[in-house]
Amino acid sequence: MARNPIKDRVAIVGVGSTGFSRSNQRSALALALDASTQAIRDAGLTAADVNGIVAIGEPGAPSPQVLAASLGISDVTYFSRPAPVVMFSIVDAMNAVYAGACDTVLVCAAMLRLPWASRSAANDPFRRVLVRGGGGGARGGWPESVAQAAAYAAWASRYLHEYRATREPFGRIAVNCRTNARANPLAAMRDPITMDDYYEARMIREPLCMLDMDVPVDGGDAFVLTTAERARALQQPPVLVHATTVGLIDRNDEDQLPGLTRHGQHVVVEALRAKSDLWLDDVDVYYPYDGFTIITIGWLENTGWCAPGGAARFIADNWDDETGRLMIDGRIPVNTHGGSLSEGGTRGTGHIREAVVQLRGQAGTRQVPGAKTALVTPGGFFFNSQGAILRAA
Amino acid sequence: MSDADLVERFAAVPVDQDTKDFYRGWLDHELRIDRCADCGRWQHPPRPMCPACWSWNVVPTPVSGRGTVHLLIRLHQGPPLEGVDYAASPHPVAVVELDEQPGLRITSTVVNCDPREIEIGMPVELTWIDRDGVPFPAFRPAGA
Repeated sequence: MARNPIKDRVAIVGVGSTGFSRSNQRSALALALDASTQAIRDAGLTAADVNGIVAIGEPGAPSPQVLAASLGISDVTYFSRPAPVVMFSIVDAMNAVYAGACDTVLVCAAMLRLPWASRSAANDPFRRVLVRGGGGGARGGWPESVAQAAAYAAWASRYLHEYRATREPFGRIAVNCRTNARANPLAAMRDPITMDDYYEARMIREPLCMLDMDVPVDGGDAFVLTTAERARALQQPPVLVHATTVGLIDRNDEDQLPGLTRHGQHVVVEALRAKSDLWLDDVDVYYPYDGFTIITIGWLENTGWCAPGGAARFIADNWDDETGRLMIDGRIPVNTHGGSLSEGGTRGTGHIREAVVQLRGQAGTRQVPGAKTALVTPGGFFFNSQGAILRAA
Repeated sequence: MSDADLVERFAAVPVDQDTKDFYRGWLDHELRIDRCADCGRWQHPPRPMCPACWSWNVVPTPVSGRGTVHLLIRLHQGPPLEGVDYAASPHPVAVVELDEQPGLRITSTVVNCDPREIEIGMPVELTWIDRDGVPFPAFRPAGA
């Protein structure tokens, strides 16, 4: 058993979300403040109770100092701005609480569709500031790059090659998320899709098509974390952070990765399993990241739900035809909120929020009866692989 | 060529102290990959120290140009590029594993063949194409 002194010592006590859309006209700050005030009120707290701020470093999202000024949060003793993908910020916030750097911390993310995400985003003059100063990365350069998003199309090609696989499991992941999003009022994409829709979807970076890629959205999510002791006195059922980790290997450049069976996800799974008292047999709800369908395939195989290359068979064997979604062993739904593919591309904040709501028993028509333990595996293969086990107190 | 001229000519790529010799090689039609002169380990992209032995004796060294397609994307859309019509013919982006060392790869494209015939596992060799007025290292089917 690996060292994990923070086990069950920090709780998520508040969540807030604006919901996600592709037609929003509000600023990133407005979205962040909406989500933050909801999360703090959800916890039964006020601005005066918060003395830590972790602002997820999404492009255009407000800094901790702007959040403090806008929310009237004073006497802040800890603040930071980690890179996107949710667990960098959750881990930072919980470590700050556990170390005593602050007592109650707000974690906030707001995301805006960047100008290249859609025609409406491109036509919005207020989004031009998001790419000022060359934030376009490889987009302004030559096409011969597998940096960032293109990396997943590249490694999807390798997956299909090595395992003589078809795109069918990719499509099933997309259908699963859309089916689940139908019951989530926060989700941007709620019209049902079929496997035929998947095969007919526009190819973008072959072998990945439009429905393999998460949907760019505007929206905000926020969380409040505090000590497990304090959480017991607050108004919501506390959700304890049982174990977390992030994972990185040395050869993490997108085109230099050793292979599909050795990357960041493997570090996460080994570390998380060593830190946790709970594992797959204990899990009631599962939230694998799905910025691209191949990432979910990777998590299913690398977490040990099935063997490497076994996802197609596993998904087929655990598919619920009646509802059109994945139900592991007939009881564990996957991405009950619709994931990044259908709720919206939040880089994992949606996965954590939905896990909290399920563990509180507040998911309404989506509620998994008696859900006590959630496994959340945000991030991809290269430099943002992450894992968390959350449990009801 | 001065450092300023080099940066100017390669406006589309990040030229700095660590990558300048890699891009200077392109002007001479030579693909130079960083190799540790002490332990022999190759690394790419260019970085100033050997990650295996921490030697600073890293030397941009010409490679044979022979390799194998390891990853392959066909872009149905992408940044505007002269001579590329993504809709008419998806543009191949290939990650080629070089013969010099397992896992040593470079990302480029494959030319001199029907794009539909490119596949993972295909042996390829280095060739040079023009890209925005500068030589660009591409690959073609081996022996073509």
